[in-house]
Amino acid sequence: MALGGTIRGKKTALRLPVEADLDVYNRWMADLRVRRAHNVWHEPAMPATWKERFKEVAKEKQAVLWSIEADGKLIGLAFGYMWGLWSGFDLSQLVIDPDQWRKGYGFDVALALHRYLFDYLDLRRSDLELRADNAAALRIADRLGYVEYARGHDAAYRDGAYVDQLRLLMEKETWHERWSAEREYGPLAADATR
Amino acid sequence: MLGPKLVGNNSVALVPMTLEHHKLRGPWMTHPDVGRFWGPRFGDFTPENLEERFKKDCEDPNQVQWTIAYQDEPVGFTGIFGIDWVRRDGESGIFIGRHDLYGRGIGSEAVRLRTDFAWKELRLHRVHNWIAHANRGSRRANEKSGYKQMGLQPRTFFRSGEWYDEWLGEAFPHTFPEKA
Repeated sequence: MALGGTIRGKKTALRLPVEADLDVYNRWMADLRVRRAHNVWHEPAMPATWKERFKEVAKEKQAVLWSIEADGKLIGLAFGYMWGLWSGFDLSQLVIDPDQWRKGYGFDVALALHRYLFDYLDLRRSDLELRADNAAALRIADRLGYVEYARGHDAAYRDGAYVDQLRLLMEKETWHERWSAEREYGPLAADATR
Repeated sequence: MLGPKLVGNNSVALVPMTLEHHKLRGPWMTHPDVGRFWGPRFGDFTPENLEERFKKDCEDPNQVQWTIAYQDEPVGFTGIFGIDWVRRDGESGIFIGRHDLYGRGIGSEAVRLRTDFAWKELRLHRVHNWIAHANRGSRRANEKSGYKQMGLQPRTFFRSGEWYDEWLGEAFPHTFPEKA
């Protein structure tokens, strides 16, 4: 586990992260547009520190990191934790380059990632935490099928003020109700298992 | 990092954890009477791994850990973890390993000491936690120190044929009871 492999969306693809991506990660973590939207994965740091972090995440048993590409260009990262016993997934980071916002990349990559979680890994649920003022992310979560189950009051701080944080979850059943047509692989030939 | 010694009522104290205390995790966390509301009852509890984890915990500046002592004996652990010093928020946890001592108010006093420390010494703004909804004792211990429900995660863990929810709580300095 630890470094995630290729998951294809329609406009985007999650792919194996490489060291060459780290400079761009650093730039995003230092971008106030990113920092005001959600928690950073790591604080900006020297290249050597990023390399250490990269080594560490590759060794983690339950964390998975992906880079996100569109048109062959690095446009984001996704990071999360598998729950113990592989029953669920905490999507902790889904960062899209602010210069690439409003192009539909966020929903496209989120849909592909959730197809992997439910249609490939057969997880029971996915869980995430969003700031109450992150309207774009909340719209994506709502469209996918997430429901709110908790509200942490004044739990995040940005731009000189506290804001609430919402916890949302999506069940496997919801995925199958809404997105049953989303399959990574086409059906096999009738005699494939003969 | 390790928290300082905090002496409470009812022979309860929070004391800096030692490696010997830390090694009690193995026998405590694998016992069925403790595992009703806690973990999968397996883990890598080899002495080498416990020592490595203890070292990491001690070095981590974003957590404070204590051993809970009752009548000067280690009986469990508590702490505040993943502290975000900008948001001034952390996640609290408590674990009583000595199941034969349940119901004596040890958890309540440990939570009171920990929460008081969070406000008066760490200057935190908020502390939050996750507790099995059916673990009434732990939930009550936290509520007495000002934790309030912020949500329920449905069907989070499975025990003996039934699904149980997880209770999510949060506390602020202004919710800490005066008399505490």
